[in-house]
Amino acid sequence: MVRIIAIASGKGGTGKTTLTANLGIALSRLGKKVLLIDADVAMANLSLILGMQSSPITLHDVLLGEAQAHDAIYDGPEGIHFIPSGLSLDNYKRVDSERLGGIVSQLSDKYDFILLDAAAGIEKNVLSALSAAQETLIITMPTSPAIADALKTKLVAQRLGSKVIGVVVNFVMGEKGEITKQEASSILELPVYGVIPFDQEVRKSFMQQKVSPVIIRKSDSPAAQEFQKIGSRLTGTKIVETQQTKAGFFSRLISIFKKK
Amino acid sequence: MMKNFLRKLSSKKGLVEKETRGNSQVEFLRDFLSKHNYVFSQDFEENLSILKRKHLVDSFVVTNFDGSVVVSSEGSPQSEAIMGTAMLSYIKSEIPDSEAVLIKKEGSWFMLFTLDKKVFIVEAGSELSNIELKALALELSILIEENKSVLKKEKELVDNNIE
Repeated sequence: MVRIIAIASGKGGTGKTTLTANLGIALSRLGKKVLLIDADVAMANLSLILGMQSSPITLHDVLLGEAQAHDAIYDGPEGIHFIPSGLSLDNYKRVDSERLGGIVSQLSDKYDFILLDAAAGIEKNVLSALSAAQETLIITMPTSPAIADALKTKLVAQRLGSKVIGVVVNFVMGEKGEITKQEASSILELPVYGVIPFDQEVRKSFMQQKVSPVIIRKSDSPAAQEFQKIGSRLTGTKIVETQQTKAGFFSRLISIFKKK
Repeated sequence: MMKNFLRKLSSKKGLVEKETRGNSQVEFLRDFLSKHNYVFSQDFEENLSILKRKHLVDSFVVTNFDGSVVVSSEGSPQSEAIMGTAMLSYIKSEIPDSEAVLIKKEGSWFMLFTLDKKVFIVEAGSELSNIELKALALELSILIEENKSVLKKEKELVDNNIE
């Protein structure tokens, strides 16, 4: 049975696209057939994060009725499939995003997971993504404005009949004054699916010669490990802790002598 | 301990900005959510009112194609029901693949559309997308069906008591 999940936030810049890309790969590593759809028809950039920006047929063409959905599916990294959105502003004005639900339904029997990267805000194309998905996963930041926007997104998703399954808190630095995981959960009345630490490796992933999600480029980084955990939570797979505990000074000293 | 001492010292001297957040923000957000908690009750009329608030509309009427009212959030607006149904039928006959009719009148939007052999007439302060209208119609249809089965059970109980 396919799970169609919209990744939404309300606020811009919370890491929706980064979560979609990395979570898709995490799910693929768990043996799931995954399709990612860039449902942000106005400000598409999932293809940039996946390093797949040269795609001739896009979601725009499908929404305009000028191409079939399966013609817009591309092979992504680590076995995922991907439907990019077009970068053309002209086409964006003409597309009927309300057709998204029908397109997703057509493809649902081929995948275990379909992740929709929704736009920021609560405008029409966001509503289309939320409505096309049976479930919504909200991503937010540990600040009150981001949580307020997440709240509104939750209400809109529920209004459209999408089940809001949980929240992911991103850019966590553990500073005083941040909204804590417990507070985020209690304010939003949602379980926390993941707490992604602020990790320079995520930012560095965009700055490489060949851009690739952090989960591929630096899979042992704290953020990459958290993406994998979120994937495990979604599939109900047991989480295996791979992070090594930092050895103390004496342990490191002893290990030097042991090596000799 | 040393770290705490240095932190306290530097904050007293104003060297480090105090990163504290009052509870007021969290309380405000909790209050916001509590105002938008839409829990349906056993009372059908009350549920219609909850549905209005949840879907941000001012009123709605559901009719059959003959104009008879199935349910309304505002009493029994027979004339609006007949007029709306007639108007939608006319436009559907002229433009068969039209999905909805939107009319703006004195700052309000009236939206007419069909779903499952019923006509929905919705009034709101701003126009709703087809997606939003369908979401309202689906939830309304579920409420109507639930109410039908409740009424049926009540009738059966009354009939059994009479017998």
